[in-house]
Amino acid sequence: MSVEPAVADPPRRHSRIDYWRIGWIWLALTILLVLFSIWVPTRLMGPPASPTMRAVESTMRVFSIAASPVAALVWAVAIYSLIRWKSKGRPTEDGPAVRGYGPVTITWAAVSTVLCVFLLIWGLAEMTSVTSAAEASNPLVVNVTGQQWVWTFSYPDEGNVESDQLYLPLNRPVVFHVTSKDVIHSFWVVQMGIKVDANPGVTTKTSVTPDKLGTFDVRCAELCGLRHADMETAAHVVNPADFTTWIAQNGGHT
Amino acid sequence: MTAAVISQPAQPHQPAAAGGGLMRRLNVGTAVAGGVILGLIGWLVAHSLLQDDDHGSDQVVLVTLTCWAVGFMIGIGAFNGPIGWALGRDLRREDELFLAGKDQGISRYFRFTTDHKVVGIQYLVVTMVLFALGGTLAMLIRTNLISPHSHFLNPQTYNAIVGLHGLIMIVATIIMVTGPFGNFIMPIMIGARDMAFPRLNALSLWLIVAAIPTLLSAAVLGGIPTGWVGYAPLADQAPPGMDSYSVFIIIFAVSSAVAGANITTTVLTMRARGMSWNRTPIFVYGTVASVGLAIPAFPMFMASQILLQVDRTQGGQFFVASGGGSPWLYANLFWLMGHPEVYVILIPALAALMELTPVFSRKPLFSFNAAVISIAGIVGLSVMVWAHHMYASGWAPDLNGPFMLTTEMISVPTGLLFLVILGTVWRGRVWTTVPMMATYAMLWNFIIGGVTGIYLSDVPADYALHGSMFVTAHFHYTLMGAGLTGAIGALAYWFPKMTGRMMNERAGYISFWLVQIGFNVTFMGMFAVGLAGQPRRVVTYAHLFATGNLVSTIGAYTIGIGMLVLLYAVISSWRHGDRAPANPWGGKTLEWTVPNPIPLENFEVMPVVTSDFYGYGEEPSTGADGEDAREPVHAGAPAGPAAAVVAAAPVEGEL
Amino acid sequence: MIVGGVAAVAITGFVLSTAGATPGLLKATVNGTADTAQGQLPHAFLNLATYPDSEAGEHGADGGAHPDWVSYGPTSNFEVPAHSLVTITIDQYDGGETITNPFFAKVRGTVDGTMTVDGKTMTEADPDAIGHTFTIHALPTNQDPLFVSVPLPAVSDDAPEVEGTDYPAPHVVTFSFITGGKGEYVWNCEFPCGDGYYAKFGGPMSTQGYMSGNINVV
Ligand SMILES: [Cu+2]
Ligand SMILES: [Cu+2]
Ligand SMILES: [Cu+2]
Repeated sequence: MSVEPAVADPPRRHSRIDYWRIGWIWLALTILLVLFSIWVPTRLMGPPASPTMRAVESTMRVFSIAASPVAALVWAVAIYSLIRWKSKGRPTEDGPAVRGYGPVTITWAAVSTVLCVFLLIWGLAEMTSVTSAAEASNPLVVNVTGQQWVWTFSYPDEGNVESDQLYLPLNRPVVFHVTSKDVIHSFWVVQMGIKVDANPGVTTKTSVTPDKLGTFDVRCAELCGLRHADMETAAHVVNPADFTTWIAQNGGHT
Repeated sequence: MTAAVISQPAQPHQPAAAGGGLMRRLNVGTAVAGGVILGLIGWLVAHSLLQDDDHGSDQVVLVTLTCWAVGFMIGIGAFNGPIGWALGRDLRREDELFLAGKDQGISRYFRFTTDHKVVGIQYLVVTMVLFALGGTLAMLIRTNLISPHSHFLNPQTYNAIVGLHGLIMIVATIIMVTGPFGNFIMPIMIGARDMAFPRLNALSLWLIVAAIPTLLSAAVLGGIPTGWVGYAPLADQAPPGMDSYSVFIIIFAVSSAVAGANITTTVLTMRARGMSWNRTPIFVYGTVASVGLAIPAFPMFMASQILLQVDRTQGGQFFVASGGGSPWLYANLFWLMGHPEVYVILIPALAALMELTPVFSRKPLFSFNAAVISIAGIVGLSVMVWAHHMYASGWAPDLNGPFMLTTEMISVPTGLLFLVILGTVWRGRVWTTVPMMATYAMLWNFIIGGVTGIYLSDVPADYALHGSMFVTAHFHYTLMGAGLTGAIGALAYWFPKMTGRMMNERAGYISFWLVQIGFNVTFMGMFAVGLAGQPRRVVTYAHLFATGNLVSTIGAYTIGIGMLVLLYAVISSWRHGDRAPANPWGGKTLEWTVPNPIPLENFEVMPVVTSDFYGYGEEPSTGADGEDAREPVHAGAPAGPAAAVVAAAPVEGEL
Repeated sequence: MIVGGVAAVAITGFVLSTAGATPGLLKATVNGTADTAQGQLPHAFLNLATYPDSEAGEHGADGGAHPDWVSYGPTSNFEVPAHSLVTITIDQYDGGETITNPFFAKVRGTVDGTMTVDGKTMTEADPDAIGHTFTIHALPTNQDPLFVSVPLPAVSDDAPEVEGTDYPAPHVVTFSFITGGKGEYVWNCEFPCGDGYYAKFGGPMSTQGYMSGNINVV
């Protein structure tokens, strides 16, 4: 049993209308995806509590918008081919013997390279700005200790105040010195968009400037055994005066 | 069996080979017996000698599991050949035919059989068993996560199930295309009578079978608390279930090295006459790329487990910071395997879809060269991106930029693969069979998997998303949405050739829609909770994530039902499906030129290839080399000499 | 087939082995009310103990699978009333040594930040002689925050066994805390006491029913 290899007359006259229709589907999908990109991911991530998280959310938005026309094009052609070129049951003839079309391939590769370079430059710029902003002078130093399955914090420059919850003053850069007593944990302040592993035997650093009052989530992001899911605590961002009060209440000094 | 199939002249008579009689009595039953007996001996010896220090129980487990695996391989007959050769004896021709499974009916599937078609079917069954196991575990995980207060699993059981699910699924996806189709279809596709090393082929399969019980033994040895990555030093601390993990990985790495050497050699040396590289089907490229990438990758994983076993059983300090070791050493070794591995999984699945898309579009593969170049590009880049899994680890912050560069560069060759498929369906005659629907599902899912991968390649965005459910959803979109979907497409496509029967189409469609809709529901829910900040691998979670998790669980059950329908379709069609013609889809590659059932050595007369296999819509050539004035454009089949030969071939063998 | 069979057996065995380990529930007994900073609240009591082995707790007299593992007793699953003063008394029979994180040598989150050890009021224990800790924590977003951590001083290694028992005289540690609304909390020991495991946090430390369990506020 085999299909007779009938050579189809390439339906040239349909091509132009195919391009237009695909163009419309592509445009509609692109608009939908761009709207989705602007609203949905950042809404799910919640309001940012630091410039770092704001940068991450704008990255999510920009990358999604940049990817929208690409995804829309792939899906538009796929959907259109299912509508326009679907054969009812087994095809009785072959399609046109097109083995490739250099200009399309080259354009495709070139556009994706340009997009890729754009993503890279964006990412590097963002990375530099996020790190340099946090390397400001006079940061608050917080020692973060991960251990199975509790986070503990201490403030070495404030008289070694210790706490099971994180208290941070508003708008002051903070540097976290993160380490672990046992296995690998990952220190994650969710709404501030910062994360660094807590490794035994070494100290890793991350920094952020909280710019929103409120209580945020500190989670462990690296599976660390039995109670990994419960390795959570709260990060309170308070006014500087309240922070000073809190330090004093816990026997420290600023 | 006629003499025509055995093309070599009869060999001179030799005395009976060592174990020639014994060989005929070995099967999976003797293998299990061998494994249990040697395992028990190992346990007794180790238990009496090694019990008395901190590492005693780990040493006992290591010895016992190793003995099980060795006993199993002895019992299946894996060592008969090497021992025979060591004693200066070789197999007689009838022994070789016995090894190839001649005239053995169903029992050849339970033996150390060298016929690549038998090995392919064995791989298919092993893959399905692994997916059934891993899928069941996934259902348990999702049931537990249906609400933050389900208390369906305690945290220990939950962690163990998460680790086993991950590892079983990774192994299943690694072998799901190159195992069944790389072994069964690929040699026929290149016009070979078997693999280059038929015994290594059987060895690679049976090593996996021997290894699976060692992994499952973790369940009764305290579980794997580390997830599938086995991160040290949590792995140093873990119960003896971790030793099961190590032994499994070490055996699996050997198996993949054996399979890789075998498939690579086969493709390099055994392609039919005339099958130059530009006539070699894209699926063959995909298979070689996959196993070729596995060859350097898996030794890394094996090395990490050997070091881990030194830590766990001998008091080593490779990953113990207080002893001068480094957890980052483990993470690096792991991801040196772990990132190439995702392309070990993806490339052959995508290549299978690229192979079948021309058949169901009735058009040549669009830009064959671009497809080959992008596969090569992905292979090259994929060994240079591993540390994107370690942006947040603190290991080498200065390297984050370079790794971001290499990672984002992968999107260029990957994007070209989309173009290849889109260009192929463009103005084609699209026949929406289940395999072709799999191509469309892949286009949908892999775009989502790819775009979310770009967020994760960006260093600051990864700081926010690393270790969250977002990552879990992302790699399920790639490995399951693109990889497994491709494998299901490949199964539906080659099912008639492998089983001689057509797969139930209705059940195929029902399963397709259930799985794809369930899949998107599950992992869209998971993206949502990941963005909102739910960590991976947690047994319970904040109330904020409850809705997303409920949605995910409903989606997961839908996948489960869809997979059961697929299982039904496969089993029932295999047993009672309509007899398949030799070429039900009108494909042009060589596997469609051999009759159903396929003769023991595939081709009575070796095919000669005069063009590539994508000549849809082109003038049929006259076939034989050089007779055509133009550059030969048509495949050796169906108009080539092979077709003529095959048409006359006797129908033999059974399934 | 074989693989499937082995798998089925393994999974069944696993589920059974963990199901069999599900510990019993110990409910706090409410006895009268107490005056607290938050007004008059019901007063609930729990009596626990820590042992150098697991022969006295929920694992039965033979100690179950790991008789030599340290354990809490009589069980590891507790239930206490919401909006109440909870007083827990722990008989600490086990020895100990230096704690890795001195944070947990201090009393945290109890009423007045104190505990009593053998009748003496203390705010911290000697970090070089800690036996275990009793540390309650949980997901803070799901329920009222509750973080309580109490160090249990070690019994000295040369203390003589009390006649008729296998153990020396215990330190009796008492502390109280006030519960908020209903919630599901976990507790575990933060003194690494899983000897023979990396960071001494494996074995009993990483297995529910020894040095970790649940505490539900109802
Ligand atoms: Cu952790
Ligand atoms: Cu990767
Ligand atoms: Cu303890």
